[in-house]
Amino acid sequence: MSGLGTALVFWPGAVIMLATAVYVFRTSSMARAGLLLLASLGVEGLLFLALASEFLGVLQLLMMSGEMVVMTFFMVMFMPDPGGLMGMDMIHDKRRSASLAVAVTVALAVFAVLTDWPAETLNGEAPDVRQIGFEVMGRSMFSFLFAGITILFAMVGGTMLAKHGGRFAVEAEGDAR
Amino acid sequence: MRRAWRQVDAPLGTPRHHDAWLFHLAPPLLLVASVVALAMVPWAPGFRGIELSTGVILFAGALAFVTPAVFMAGWGGGRPLVVLGGFRFVALMLAYAMPLAMALTAVAAPAESLQPAAIVDVQHAVPTALVQPLAFALWVPSAMAVALMAPFDLANASEELDGGAFGQYGGIHAGMVALARRILVLALAGMTAALFLSGWHGPLLAPAIWMALKTLAVAATMLWVGRRFPRVELDRLLSVAWKFAIPAAIGAIAWSGLVTLLFYA
Repeated sequence: MSGLGTALVFWPGAVIMLATAVYVFRTSSMARAGLLLLASLGVEGLLFLALASEFLGVLQLLMMSGEMVVMTFFMVMFMPDPGGLMGMDMIHDKRRSASLAVAVTVALAVFAVLTDWPAETLNGEAPDVRQIGFEVMGRSMFSFLFAGITILFAMVGGTMLAKHGGRFAVEAEGDAR
Repeated sequence: MRRAWRQVDAPLGTPRHHDAWLFHLAPPLLLVASVVALAMVPWAPGFRGIELSTGVILFAGALAFVTPAVFMAGWGGGRPLVVLGGFRFVALMLAYAMPLAMALTAVAAPAESLQPAAIVDVQHAVPTALVQPLAFALWVPSAMAVALMAPFDLANASEELDGGAFGQYGGIHAGMVALARRILVLALAGMTAALFLSGWHGPLLAPAIWMALKTLAVAATMLWVGRRFPRVELDRLLSVAWKFAIPAAIGAIAWSGLVTLLFYA
């Protein structure tokens, strides 16, 4: 894509991404919060595509859709007020969480601006790209798998504990078996 | 044509208690997702919507956005049976997205490419459905479930849930949903023909005609299955997905790696 085309997608996209991210915390509906986060991360995928990093872009679109729907589903299942009709607030411990968020944003922005990013683009055959591939599929694979299986256990365990009768499977009236 | 216009011109049905944003955004999202999926299908050499070296992943990514769209329609509708339809679809897709994605991984391995056209070309001698029957057997029902086709149409089961997730829509909303569902069937039938049945390869006839015949045959078979067999219970479907289809899909990937190393590499 040309420089102008990229800019025309990038800047409005970035604004939409930030706006939807802010609204995640402005809404009190769990369904809206989850889907707004999906919108934010989906637009981020489009930004990757606009910046010509195709693989990251399509992967972001695929993974985020699945993950955010799972998250929304669990939020709706576990929250006592999923529709936000009783005036739930998405932010707890406001002052500390806000200052932490601002500090992290500033640190990341400073890091992004001050780093001397390499200007050359590498093709798929470059040794660096191969090295990243071997690192991800080799040594680092163990930590990825460990994280993935831990999350799966947490999901299954959480569902089991949330069921009527909990882990002892004491049946209550109307339970599905 | 006249019926279509009446559909467009009809008043929008707006439920009384609902989440308006999600309710109104769901049909366009469903339509965009289905059109992006359709754009990835390689119809003939050099003839397709968007040429991407990662087309298969974007196809799966577009299908992944069907789930939030149906969830939004269900949640936005704000009536018990409608919400239930949306939830059913999420539960179904959590279980069936994995076999679908893993079947895609399995067919991409022999071609060493995520480009649909390259996957068609690697099947010039033998279609993937014959080399990897397990991946094919997992793909077809998962694809039908994504496209909300009977007997997996639990989200919009018209008899049990009175239209399910889409029960509250009228006017152009209902038209968009209907159009998107037909596009999804076309995209999935086309992709099945391309990835598993060697796409445009075939003797005598022109490539595009072979592809069209195969797509029509796949779509007709899927629709016939929907008419012939009764709707499957949700818990039984989920049980089969989690206990059988996902482990089997890992087996299909291992098998794909084996045949790739032995015959393709």
